[in-house]
Amino acid sequence: MSSCRREPNFKNCRPAARRVIADTAGTDYPLAPMTGLQPSGGSVGGVRFLGARGAYARLLARGAGLLMVTLGLYRFWLMTDVRRFLWSNTEIDGETLEYAGTPLELLIGFLVAVALLVPVYAGFFIAALDLGVFGEMTGAIAFAGLAVLGQYAIYRARRYRLTRTVFRGLRFTQTGSAWVYAFRAVGWWIVTALTFGLAYPFQLASLERYKMRHTRYGTLPGRFAGTGFGLMWRGLPMWLVVMAPLALAVGAFVEVVDWSALTDAVTQTGDDVMGRVEGTNPALGEVVVFAMLMTGLSAVMAALLYPVFQAVVLRWWTSGLRFGAIEARSKLRIRHVYGAYMRFLWWGGLFTIALGVLAIPLLILIGVVAGKLPDSGAGDIAATLIGLGGYVVAALGYSTIYRATVLMSLWQLGAEALQLSGLDLLERVEAAGQASSPLGEGLADALNVGGY
Amino acid sequence: MTDASHPMTAGAGIFFDGRVSARRDVRVTLGPRTLQIDDAAGRLLAEWPYDEIESLSAPDTVLRLGRHGNATLERLEIFDPVFAAAVDARATQVDRSGGLQHRQRLAVVGLSVIAVASLLVVAWLGVPALAARIAPLLPVAVERKLGAAVDLQVRNALDTQHAGAAFECGNGAGQAAARAALGRLTGRLETAAALSMPLKFTIVHRKEANAFAIPGGQIYVFEGLIDTARDADELAGVLAHEIGHVAHRDGTRAVLQGAGLSFMFGMLLGDFVGGGAVVLAAKSVLKSSYSRDVEAAADVYGVGLMQKAGGNGAALAAILTRIGGATEPGMKILRDHPDTKARVAVIERLAHGIAGQAMLSPAEWSALRGICKG
Repeated sequence: MSSCRREPNFKNCRPAARRVIADTAGTDYPLAPMTGLQPSGGSVGGVRFLGARGAYARLLARGAGLLMVTLGLYRFWLMTDVRRFLWSNTEIDGETLEYAGTPLELLIGFLVAVALLVPVYAGFFIAALDLGVFGEMTGAIAFAGLAVLGQYAIYRARRYRLTRTVFRGLRFTQTGSAWVYAFRAVGWWIVTALTFGLAYPFQLASLERYKMRHTRYGTLPGRFAGTGFGLMWRGLPMWLVVMAPLALAVGAFVEVVDWSALTDAVTQTGDDVMGRVEGTNPALGEVVVFAMLMTGLSAVMAALLYPVFQAVVLRWWTSGLRFGAIEARSKLRIRHVYGAYMRFLWWGGLFTIALGVLAIPLLILIGVVAGKLPDSGAGDIAATLIGLGGYVVAALGYSTIYRATVLMSLWQLGAEALQLSGLDLLERVEAAGQASSPLGEGLADALNVGGY
Repeated sequence: MTDASHPMTAGAGIFFDGRVSARRDVRVTLGPRTLQIDDAAGRLLAEWPYDEIESLSAPDTVLRLGRHGNATLERLEIFDPVFAAAVDARATQVDRSGGLQHRQRLAVVGLSVIAVASLLVVAWLGVPALAARIAPLLPVAVERKLGAAVDLQVRNALDTQHAGAAFECGNGAGQAAARAALGRLTGRLETAAALSMPLKFTIVHRKEANAFAIPGGQIYVFEGLIDTARDADELAGVLAHEIGHVAHRDGTRAVLQGAGLSFMFGMLLGDFVGGGAVVLAAKSVLKSSYSRDVEAAADVYGVGLMQKAGGNGAALAAILTRIGGATEPGMKILRDHPDTKARVAVIERLAHGIAGQAMLSPAEWSALRGICKG
């Protein structure tokens, strides 16, 4: 690498030009070792995450405080800061991503979305006043309409994020119809619900294929190579472990309970419903206890397996990403995802202790305040305000810790587990596409379906 | 910052021309007014005026530059902190220290706090004022529709046993006398009130001493209120107060206020984890602040109506004192009717001690008391 110093115009300096420049400057400059570039392979590279957990946690904590002060208005700025941090610290083949969106765009997108939604909500409100069939259906129609609109917003928001993602001087773009996506997504959700989640892998694969088929990096077309069966094969054991206790509970009800007698007992008038139920169905009590135990077991299993589920989906998803000849392969380890949850439990536990220690003087304060202001109601109000503040601090605190541990780790682990091949293509992709409007983000925010 | 005196005038960088994704090692020269980017062969790739250079989102160790307002995404990356400082010193919009951004953020936070404060003022004063202007403009037909929709919800919320028709009192054959007495009492009030919409009184099986009006002239009276009342005038006093709500279209106003608050707090504010509780608290505080004036106005109306109907205007004060003194926790009348003592004083002053005549004969009153029995 010493050749670089001799050559004034930096010929042959790659890939370690940066290090050399820093050396000549004589500073202790924290430089990234170029593990992303493997000189032997040339076209094979990895993804690295450069961000420090502490810096991200500070960013989130400060944002949480400002969210509280501004009753949530700061969220556009916090969201942009978060994305700037995550994007700019994600290094693909030695070059970091750039998030080019601004908070004002998000704010404007949100305001436009609100302006569009107000007439919609007003329409539902007026329609709900109409008695008759239509009036009674308003709730269902509104739910269905907002479900479709939510998926529409998710697709448009993805387009906004992609067109604000710049890599090596080129932006990502997304074509395709958000309405087509929205109806597909809602249709898939219905199928998934009807199959008790068994169709979920196929839903993910289908929707991801649609998204990636319409995604481009410059002129380089994306596609998704993952299949529903590929995910199902890994997810099925988890599905069985969670669903089996529930199936047993339902089976027990069907087997033991005398339904006609039970219906009679419940529909008969009179006070002693439970007495009659017990008379006609002596085993009902045991079945209910069994069902509750089984439901509890299912919930515990779901909670324990959730990190595995997340790891499996994340690995399957990232392994299916393709841009032209560039292929991704993920080596994500499940135990690393568990580590992220352990960190959440650890920091969450410390936060709980801190809250508990702080709550004692606050409770004493409430007692003093309430004692000094009898009957006037001011004591009640003060106590309510303190309680409310405590609740908000706790809720925001746990959510911030979750974002700083689990969500951050999922991003980092998902990125760092990636092996990319075909990277020599990156030297000759051409630019294409324009930045899109932030309306999708605004809609997603107004409908509470936003992501990162 | 502009400080052209920085000694370093050339350095290395990485350049993307925004047309092709190729990475190029370049030599960057800081001229008097522009920054020049040359490739390894010495060809000029780009020349950016200092006042058009902006710094872009990048890791802490990289200065990433672009040209402001440029349609193509040309990017120049500088890794040497000393040279980065030299660029920073010349380019007016580049601000590596973060001081400018810090000031912008402070302004954002300041403006957001002002926005929240102004929204709260609008919620506190503007929403009730607007609702009060709009409510009288709504045609009676619309209000009745609104009332029917509210009625469905109210019935579901009150009728916890889901008894359906049996939830209402006075439908039995043995209660004809009670129904007649109630009809006489409400008829006197309704004649005196002479409202543009007909009133409908429904007595329901609930133990609390309470009554309320919903849009469209529907008034619910709880069994507990009839049990608490010592004479017909006390019951009539409360009914007159509720008729006041109907006359002032308070139910419609409350619906409009609720919609306004939901819009402001549901959509514009409170969209963060834990924000739901803040929104709920703010809504209930604001609603109780609205209700203070509304209740006072209904009291004034009620006293006037009782006197017009020939009854005792102060009877409302008597029953209020009793209910207020024996409130059970969580009772609606306490939450919605603040400062009972002050209200009682106002009512008694308005009534001028005119006792009037009894609204019902003792026989009628005892018949009415049995409306929920048997």
